[in-house]
Amino acid sequence: MKMDKLYIIHLDEDTQLACHQDKTLLENLEAHKVEVHFHCREGFCGACRTKLLDGQVEYITDPLAYIDDDEILPCCCKAKSDLKIKLS
Amino acid sequence: MKYTTFNQQSTNPLAEPMFFGNPVNVARYDQQKHPIFEKLIEKQISFFWRPEEVDVSKDRVDFQKLSDPEKHIFISNLKYQTLLDSVQGRSPNIAFLPIVSLPELETWIETWSFFETIHSRSYTHILRNLFADPSEVFEDIVLNEEIKRRASDISRYYDDLIFATQLWQTQGEGVHQVDGQSITINMRELKKKLYLCMNSVNALEAVRFYVSFACTFAFAERELMEGNSKIIRLIARDENLHLSSTQHILNLWAKGKDDPEMAEIAEECREEARDIFLNAVEQEKQWASYLFQHGSMIGLNKDILCQYVEYIANHRMAAIGFDTPYEVKSNPLPWMNNYLNSDNVQVAPQESEISSYLVGQIDSEVSVDDFGDFDL
Repeated sequence: MKMDKLYIIHLDEDTQLACHQDKTLLENLEAHKVEVHFHCREGFCGACRTKLLDGQVEYITDPLAYIDDDEILPCCCKAKSDLKIKLS
Repeated sequence: MKYTTFNQQSTNPLAEPMFFGNPVNVARYDQQKHPIFEKLIEKQISFFWRPEEVDVSKDRVDFQKLSDPEKHIFISNLKYQTLLDSVQGRSPNIAFLPIVSLPELETWIETWSFFETIHSRSYTHILRNLFADPSEVFEDIVLNEEIKRRASDISRYYDDLIFATQLWQTQGEGVHQVDGQSITINMRELKKKLYLCMNSVNALEAVRFYVSFACTFAFAERELMEGNSKIIRLIARDENLHLSSTQHILNLWAKGKDDPEMAEIAEECREEARDIFLNAVEQEKQWASYLFQHGSMIGLNKDILCQYVEYIANHRMAAIGFDTPYEVKSNPLPWMNNYLNSDNVQVAPQESEISSYLVGQIDSEVSVDDFGDFDL
């Protein structure tokens, strides 16, 4: 069986969360009971727009909602490294 | 500049701005200046639905059980939404198509507006089921003061842009006398009107629907009017996509990724654009007061609804580069998310897994094994 790789999400100085690579970033945050605004969960509404301060993500669906260069849509991406994010 | 339905001059659509460049000639989508609009078209078409697919017959029984204040809330919301989609079903076409310069954006505008007409038809579907003769409801839309006030604010920026475009396309730039008034038409003014109009449309798609959505879903939380709620869920999914398109347009302008003059205008008209948004939020809050004037409904009251509007507004304003002026930090109506999540939008059973199930419906892969039991 393939081992599920764990990354770390840094929310702020004191909060670090384990992040499963096989789940979306939004699912990971919800598993840790972090409140994230969301609607469509499919990358087109942009409700979950979040600032990515450090790290890399990969998209499982092409994001259609407008995001800035330093922003990501947690509902449709997975972590590719440890991440530092800032929730809006 | 006179509008032509087929511009015979060779143009390079990859070098045109979104608006006020050359009129579009060839409807081609193999190359796009802004690929996002082609992607939005694909997504929107994959969302296609018909009001008749949704069975609303049980709603008739539910409606009879509602209290009078609840009936007022339900019907008023339908009237308001009918107004919004009456405007949106025609205005993007009339206002934006005469001035659009990119084929993918032109088709997006047509696709967007077409879906608004599906929404309009679905209100008739809902009302015909509730009333033997829904005329009284429809006729009140142009008589009801509360609705009329909103109508004039919504259509004002569209009408302004449409009128100025008509003058420009028939008379050109300059000062024109119309009905005893002198009106100055130049490109800068036209672009300003377009910018303000797009902001007004963005605010409409961003917050104007959400008070009525919240009421609809609050009924559904009590297992009432569920057919209606199914339809509104489909509408909400479409509106989210439309909002994404206006946010893209505004951001492409503001960040100088399209017409450089629009970037200047975005800077210049920033306060006015922000006021358009704040105004829409205030009007939605007033609408909540009107809805609840005869009494509230279980699970929802005026204050919580206003907080929700502010919460949504904060997010929507941040998306187009504005500050977040409202205090609300966490979602006052968390259950709303279940209805706005696109995978919970179920119409047919085969759609329960993925909402855009038509994509990839035909499997063109044929392997040798498929001919295993074939005899010639």
